Amino acid sequence: MSTDSTGEYDAPEPREITVTVNGESVTAAVEPRLKLSDFLRTECGLNGVRVGCEHGVCGACTVQQDGRAVKSCLSYAVQADGAEIETVEGLADDDGSLHPIQEAFHETHALQCGFCTSGFVVATKELLEENPDPTREEIERGLADNICRCTGYQNIYEAVERAAAKMRE
Amino acid sequence: MSQSQPTEADAEPESEPESFTGQGLPRVEDHRILTGEAEYIHDVTPENCLHMALVRSMHAHAEVVDIDASEAEDHPDCELVLTAEDLKANYNPMPTGVGRIEIGASGEAVELPEWSLADEKVRFVGEPVALVVASNRYAAEDVADLVTVEYDTLEAVADGMAAREDEVVVHESIGTNVVDHERIEFGDPETAFEDADHVVSGEYSWGRISGVPLETAGVVATYDEETDSFDVDCNIQLHTLVDDTIYETLGYDADDVRVNVPADVGGSYGTKIAIHRYCCLAAMASQQLNRPVKFEEDRIENLQGGDVHSSDREYEIRMAVDDDGTMRGLDVWFVDDFGAFPRYPINQVLKPLSVVTNSYVIDDVAYEYDLVLTNKTSQTAYRGFGVDPHIYALEMVVDAAAREIGMDPTEFRRRNLITPDQMPYTLPSKNVYDSGDYPATLDRIEEIIEDERDGGLLDPDVVAEKREEGKYRGVQTSVIIEPGVSGSDWTDRQRSNREALESRSREEVDELPEHLRAELREDGTVRAYLATDSSGQGHQTLVSQLLADELEILPSEIDVDYLDSVDAPTEYGSAASRMAVMLSGATVGLAERLVERAEELAADHWDVPADDVSYRDGTVELIDGSDSLSLADLAELDAERDERLTRVSYNYDHPALEHEEFDEAFRRKFPVYPTAAFGANAPIVEVDVGTGEVEILKFHTVRDCGTMLNPTIVEGQAHGGIAQGVGAALLEEFGYEADGQPQAITLFDYLLPSIETVPEIEMEHTETPSPYTETGAKGVGEGGMIDAPASIATSINAALEPLSLDEPADRIPVAPDHLRSKIRDAEE
Repeated sequence: MSTDSTGEYDAPEPREITVTVNGESVTAAVEPRLKLSDFLRTECGLNGVRVGCEHGVCGACTVQQDGRAVKSCLSYAVQADGAEIETVEGLADDDGSLHPIQEAFHETHALQCGFCTSGFVVATKELLEENPDPTREEIERGLADNICRCTGYQNIYEAVERAAAKMRE
Repeated sequence: MSQSQPTEADAEPESEPESFTGQGLPRVEDHRILTGEAEYIHDVTPENCLHMALVRSMHAHAEVVDIDASEAEDHPDCELVLTAEDLKANYNPMPTGVGRIEIGASGEAVELPEWSLADEKVRFVGEPVALVVASNRYAAEDVADLVTVEYDTLEAVADGMAAREDEVVVHESIGTNVVDHERIEFGDPETAFEDADHVVSGEYSWGRISGVPLETAGVVATYDEETDSFDVDCNIQLHTLVDDTIYETLGYDADDVRVNVPADVGGSYGTKIAIHRYCCLAAMASQQLNRPVKFEEDRIENLQGGDVHSSDREYEIRMAVDDDGTMRGLDVWFVDDFGAFPRYPINQVLKPLSVVTNSYVIDDVAYEYDLVLTNKTSQTAYRGFGVDPHIYALEMVVDAAAREIGMDPTEFRRRNLITPDQMPYTLPSKNVYDSGDYPATLDRIEEIIEDERDGGLLDPDVVAEKREEGKYRGVQTSVIIEPGVSGSDWTDRQRSNREALESRSREEVDELPEHLRAELREDGTVRAYLATDSSGQGHQTLVSQLLADELEILPSEIDVDYLDSVDAPTEYGSAASRMAVMLSGATVGLAERLVERAEELAADHWDVPADDVSYRDGTVELIDGSDSLSLADLAELDAERDERLTRVSYNYDHPALEHEEFDEAFRRKFPVYPTAAFGANAPIVEVDVGTGEVEILKFHTVRDCGTMLNPTIVEGQAHGGIAQGVGAALLEEFGYEADGQPQAITLFDYLLPSIETVPEIEMEHTETPSPYTETGAKGVGEGGMIDAPASIATSINAALEPLSLDEPADRIPVAPDHLRSKIRDAEE
């Protein structure tokens, strides 16, 4: 949570925001400097939003904001006022059955330590919403903003292709 | 949350295989991770928890003149400020890797204390100087900003070779930066070098790199006043082995500091063994405040001063070789720059002895190192544990020797390979290779390359055409060994009297076993407990499939949990490519014990001799077939007893102990690694001579880790290791300015491989079982990181061979500016 601070004593005035998170409306008073990633983790209890670098390189904190994949460590919660956010927690069905992307990652061993996985799953969702049948090059471009340190990406290609096939069915 | 849960779809295979071991079962860890439910340490925030932030030095070397915390303490959110002065009054320094250091001719020994907060002097940028605690992390950082530290700056030394001159000394109490040194000779290297037709030498640099897991360090410490003890939840690696770095610093007994690691850790690769500073500081703060205190390291802290950089070496290496292509002798000398303090992993300068000549027969070897301190953050372990730079330097000098005698480098390698009839093969450095056909592996990878030369990426016409565009393609194969399943006894060689080791007896060897526990639950399912921590390797999956086979039940009837440092005995744990082998041995022993107990219970119930009952497929039957008891029945019977019979534990002894081939290595505390996985790589590289950029077009590899217990996990380990090897070879480095300012403190500067930079990996496997392990499996966690950098570097040499450059890949990472300067030098 490396924020720049002014060193002043006066706590910044909280601002009230309303955000739709995984289909539910959340209203909260937040400090203007609260990052969206921290808002989702601490205020909404969505720990699936992982924080790996806080400077927009690793992509572990990727969520969908109004349908677009964004790195939630790079914006403030107040900037998401009125927005619709979807996190990895919103993917599985209410009955607990996994989303095809989650199934595909599991079946192809496209995760090891799992810390990057939420980000990859959400980035894959955006990719497949825009392009239901991506080539390897398109997968590469679509996931180039996310880092995985464990898998060497080989099985992630397969996961995306398998998920795409499942979702086209 | 820590239990493993098979997803429904995986629970019952359509047709039950004969054995679960050997099947690529999907992992039981995945479901909780994919749904976001997995609880990593960053997600643990108890009620009433406070948050810690650190004030860190911005200087590489300076006296701390004054710390003024008055403004910080006036901040309304401030709960606590601590400095070294407070620590010294109540706690101990952290244990170091070297301990007492002999100085001068007198042999007088002095301590090298490392306080968790810098005492009087800072020795690297990012070294913590004060801790503050506040209601949340944002406020804690506000408070930290209000601590004013006055420094008197000193000249710094940030280069390992320069540090050897002792012009700037990092620790004045010892008066030198060289805190450990050893020269070991095997055979008669002097004669070999005198008699050989040629002596070839090379100088090679291995830049400072590390694992950089996506999850940074984290800890939640809770002091309990009533029991005067601590709970330390954290993501440290080897929590049953290195917990001494926490309880000794706190000044408590091991039983009073319960170190607990969540089931899910976001990567470690060796690095997180060294996060104890944070554990100690959070525990101290918790004790002072009598409330839980949490610390989450941020990425800049992690990269700049998080005690987690790894190997940083300069090699001078010589090879004696005859005209006929016989490798006669090897002479290795290197400096490893450990940063400001010599921490636990100092033995990574010794691990290369376990594979000292790689896959080659070389009888006469000299091995020498200087372990030096500089004004950089301290070293930790990283996948490969110092073997990766050794293999790189060795393969580079092999290329140089081939050039010297005018022999094709692949043919030169082939002539010197250890052959199958020499197995098991004892290295000059006394470790033993268990099994493998290295020449066949080299032949296979060469066949693959031949296919690429015939209309593929290396087709002569394509290569010539690309060369016209300034793009040079090439590849160099070699067979590279991955030492696995380290013993523990040798790891304190540097804290032992090394002369006395020469006359040490085998009986004095003291190895740590692998501990595993299980219990039968009421519903007849089995819960196993691991005494080690995991960070993505799939140990829960592995143990459930191994145990299912031994107990003749389904993996879905087993779940796997973890023990904390108090409940578990001291043991080695997940490092040094150990777990597949150690857990398979432990599982066999544990299951035998559980079966015996089940039979005992049943015999007791039926009041018959034990011989009249037998265990099969999760039930105990009377051998006349008249009655049977399921595991659930047995659990019910057991619940009525005063002492439960179906709670069992087993300690699996290190497998090398029962093979006398390893006795000499054990006695003399040379690295003991009883499995030798191996592989041959062929990364097809393309170098753009205009930009110096290297692209790997495809990464072919043929690998052998003995019996594959779960081929899916094995392949995942190989993919990940190779990707980290690609990063090491081409992208990653913690560079430093001469004044000790770090150049890579964000992930914009420390470049991790992305999906765009990791090439397609084409992998084949052979399976040569190890004769030394229970299942024939060999250790497999580190291979790609050990072999990929050497393969990539020698392939770059091969690609640029037409330009006759002076060893273009003599520095890792082979960055574009380095290659361009080599090319420019040649053009001039």
